[in-house]
Amino acid sequence: MKKFIFIICAIALSLFIKSSSAQNINWRNLPDEQARFVNLNVGWDFGSTIGIGYGTKLKTKLPVVLNTEFSLPLGKNLLDDFKVKVGGQTELFRLGNFSGTLKIAGVFRRYENNFTRMLNFGSEFSGEIGYYKQGWYAAGEFGFDKAIATHIKSSPETKEYMPTSLNGWYVPTGGNFFYGIQTGVSVKKNDFSVRLGKLKTQDFKSSPMIPFYLQIGVKRRF
Amino acid sequence: MKTRIKLVSMALLAGSFLASCEKELTPKDLVPKTVDEDSSLPSIYISDTHLHSESYGNPDSAMIVVLHGGPGVDYRSLLNAKDLANEGYFVVFYDQRNTGLSRRHPKSSLHIQQTIDDLSAVIQHYKRSANQKVFLLGHSWGAMLATEYINTYPTQIAGVVLAEPGGFTWEQTKAYVQKSRQSNVLGETVNDATYTDQFINSDENDHELADYKLAILSASGYAPGNTQGNAGSYPFWRFGSAIFNKMNEDAAKDGFDFTQNLHQYTTPVLFVYSELNTSYGEQHAREVAAAYPNVHLEMVRGTGHEIVYFAWNNFRPMVLNYFNNLK
Repeated sequence: MKKFIFIICAIALSLFIKSSSAQNINWRNLPDEQARFVNLNVGWDFGSTIGIGYGTKLKTKLPVVLNTEFSLPLGKNLLDDFKVKVGGQTELFRLGNFSGTLKIAGVFRRYENNFTRMLNFGSEFSGEIGYYKQGWYAAGEFGFDKAIATHIKSSPETKEYMPTSLNGWYVPTGGNFFYGIQTGVSVKKNDFSVRLGKLKTQDFKSSPMIPFYLQIGVKRRF
Repeated sequence: MKTRIKLVSMALLAGSFLASCEKELTPKDLVPKTVDEDSSLPSIYISDTHLHSESYGNPDSAMIVVLHGGPGVDYRSLLNAKDLANEGYFVVFYDQRNTGLSRRHPKSSLHIQQTIDDLSAVIQHYKRSANQKVFLLGHSWGAMLATEYINTYPTQIAGVVLAEPGGFTWEQTKAYVQKSRQSNVLGETVNDATYTDQFINSDENDHELADYKLAILSASGYAPGNTQGNAGSYPFWRFGSAIFNKMNEDAAKDGFDFTQNLHQYTTPVLFVYSELNTSYGEQHAREVAAAYPNVHLEMVRGTGHEIVYFAWNNFRPMVLNYFNNLK
């Protein structure tokens, strides 16, 4: 019975997508009249996170989108930890339905608990190669998220027990490679997407505590 | 427009000035120096290692060796127990191998047998005569280590105080750790633990970085609402990430059982648990303590897991009464 319901739902969804004036999230589907978008994401990004974003397509010969994202991990103290990304992406090449994308972003991160507070400036570079059709797409991605410099400040509790603990900039900080897949469907002016992948630290010897990422997103173009 | 450029330039200059006022940190700045790096620290050399260690009281008196928790914590939060030196005891503290301010060894060289061998060597180092009585006072993992030692050498120890050992078998310990670990992936504790991985990476033998990261993660043990019932932060010098990870990995792989020979230890044992550690409780205490044939169970009021630091005034009379009866 469950299988039957699943098949009915899948057919209904595919009919709905086909019958709508579907828009992909590839470069061909960001027309000038829908050149801006807002997006909402939930998932796992070094923690269970929720994020919002805004992007706009520039009127340039080479397709370029500038975008910014703000995300934070869930928990009781919502604003003690967060991440802001400001960057851009461009469609480097197009071969039929295949496209290659380059993304570059500056990253600012904040972390605080009762031991320390860290402010980090970093950058993220990634590339995507995907197959884009009207109504859906699938792509593979590979990237590097580098934490370039981190300012560390001990909490009052830490200072109490370790008066000699230093505050300052810590430069040889960290970085993580990420690789995975993403896919999405478009329904009218809305794009729904899923990203899923693995993380590996920059020395390739170790992995983060939870070495995966997952992002489920919805985007509205206008 | 010019005014705006001026303002931005001034802000950037001010920012650069403020940034340049602070030292650029290296991994060594993130954690205190070990005995190998700071010769002013009290220390002892035993077998192949160099341990941070100090003692209080008359060296000829009955010896109490204080064993800290972890594996990977240090004895700083147990220093209230040096007060026992005023009651006629010789009180010995040491940071176990790869913990606190003791020497760091490569992770691959660490194994559980060393914990017993090091304790034997510490006792031999401080012992003045063959008939000097040796007592153990262990907290958390330190109470497990005390039991492991007694299980190996049932005739060597004149008495033991055990404060909330996780368990004497891997199954008991696993059950306690799972209860005390907050596993809500939508909660502050889990996210605080995992979010740091994008700020600082550390290899298992980058001891300074790995120890610093473990200190960040361990802050959940004294965060508001912690399940261990700790009223707030408590002092420590430096965590030991390599020993923490290696002991946990080995235990998960091979298990352990420190109870096989405990039936031979008929000396009375004082076993205490805390009132406020909701992950522990009387039921778990009874289950763990049952491995000893002659055990006296007590609850220490007004504290969570860090009994010696937060409730020494309540704990002290129990400890003193117990040791005085066996002295």
